[in-house]
Amino acid sequence: MSILEYNGAAMIAMAGKDCVGIAADRRLGIQAQTVSTDFTKVFKMNDTIHVGLGGLATDVQTLHNILKFRMGLYELREEREMTPQVFSHLLSTLLYEKRFGPYFVEPIVAGLDAKTNKPFLSSMDLIGAPVQTKDFVVSGTCTGNLYGMCETLYKPDLEPDALFETLAQALLASVDRDALSGWGGVVHIITKDGVTTRELKGRQD
Amino acid sequence: FSSSLTMARRYDSSTTTFSPEGRLHQVEYAIEAINNAGTCVGILGNDGIVMASERRITSGLLAPAKTSEKTYKLCPHAACNVAGLTADANILIDQARLRAGRYHYQYQEPIPVEQLVEHVCNYKQSYTQYGGLRPFGVAFLFAGYDENHGFQLYQSDPSGNYSGWKATVIGANNQAGKSLLKSEYGSSSSSEMTDEEETSPDVAGALRLAVKVLNKTMDGTAAAAEKMELFTMKLDESGDVVHHILTQKEAQAVIDEVEAETASAGDS
Repeated sequence: MSILEYNGAAMIAMAGKDCVGIAADRRLGIQAQTVSTDFTKVFKMNDTIHVGLGGLATDVQTLHNILKFRMGLYELREEREMTPQVFSHLLSTLLYEKRFGPYFVEPIVAGLDAKTNKPFLSSMDLIGAPVQTKDFVVSGTCTGNLYGMCETLYKPDLEPDALFETLAQALLASVDRDALSGWGGVVHIITKDGVTTRELKGRQD
Repeated sequence: FSSSLTMARRYDSSTTTFSPEGRLHQVEYAIEAINNAGTCVGILGNDGIVMASERRITSGLLAPAKTSEKTYKLCPHAACNVAGLTADANILIDQARLRAGRYHYQYQEPIPVEQLVEHVCNYKQSYTQYGGLRPFGVAFLFAGYDENHGFQLYQSDPSGNYSGWKATVIGANNQAGKSLLKSEYGSSSSSEMTDEEETSPDVAGALRLAVKVLNKTMDGTAAAAEKMELFTMKLDESGDVVHHILTQKEAQAVIDEVEAETASAGDS
């Protein structure tokens, strides 16, 4: 049993045409037992940044609080909002600081550059090794399934509504073959005009 | 300079030493430093707080400030105004921001305003008792809102002492400012309510009163929007705290209102 598989998670972030989407499942389990079906794993950090935290639930919540704290300080001192790239780097250094006693979370970052409206995607391992991509990033207990679905369904430059469909289908199909993730989903589509959030109803098992 | 007729000098050097009269001279000298700094007025209104400060432009060659040199946000529900050594203030402001952030991290609740003030003040106090270091040459006006006590205004000085106020002034000519507040705060001219013993003004009335006070303390220099910084703290419809530094246009509008008021007051 890996500690990263204790609670279960599945998440995807995908880039579209001047938009990004980030989706995650809703399950919180304690190994085989499902405990909650509305557990939040994707967090809005500001108008242009969403972060998906998948892994050990206690670290998911702690990391979220730490990130809120650090972002708050940044905004007070710099009197401006954090950009997705800076946020991703902050997260990476935060995780590496715990190199020999890490947070058991493998996050994904989805953002929109405020000026150019270009999508930003990154993901990292539990000790902060970052990867930046143009198409999609995944994390969780069924990454094999998620990669397969994304690779198959993804097309570049999707409009927000098409991006939503792609994300939803990729997520739902992936979690159905994973015992530890599923029990519903949530998808956020971020454009320069705002964020649209939709809940997904899938197999409740 | 000597602060009393007796030879205070002997007891000047160490902050941690009392003088024979029971005074801490270093702390008093720090307070003196602040009396040369740009004036700050704070007024507690019934729907918010106003903090107005004098912008001292020491040289025409100075690059225009990108942000304020007087008003600083400490957390979503508190801000402060500075009178004194800006370098010293920066240290304390960062302390306050960290404290507010850590409290929120620990309790998932905003820090009560007085606790934030007390933390900064305890930090200032330690420089009057330990280490042989000089005190901070800063006085603050803290404006904040919390659920239990609503809007609050606090003043603190280099000694680490603080108190809550309905209206107060720090910095240059603060005595003149305070005496004006004593007579004008709560009088019907600064509030739209009918005569009561003492009513607090609304933010709009407090703004006008603050400008009046600055006019008095900046005596001799013409009141102008570039020389003043006006800050308000209010709640919006969803109950969130809003920090607002008035634009030049908005500030000028308040100054004009005050001018009209004083002009017509002389007519009766």
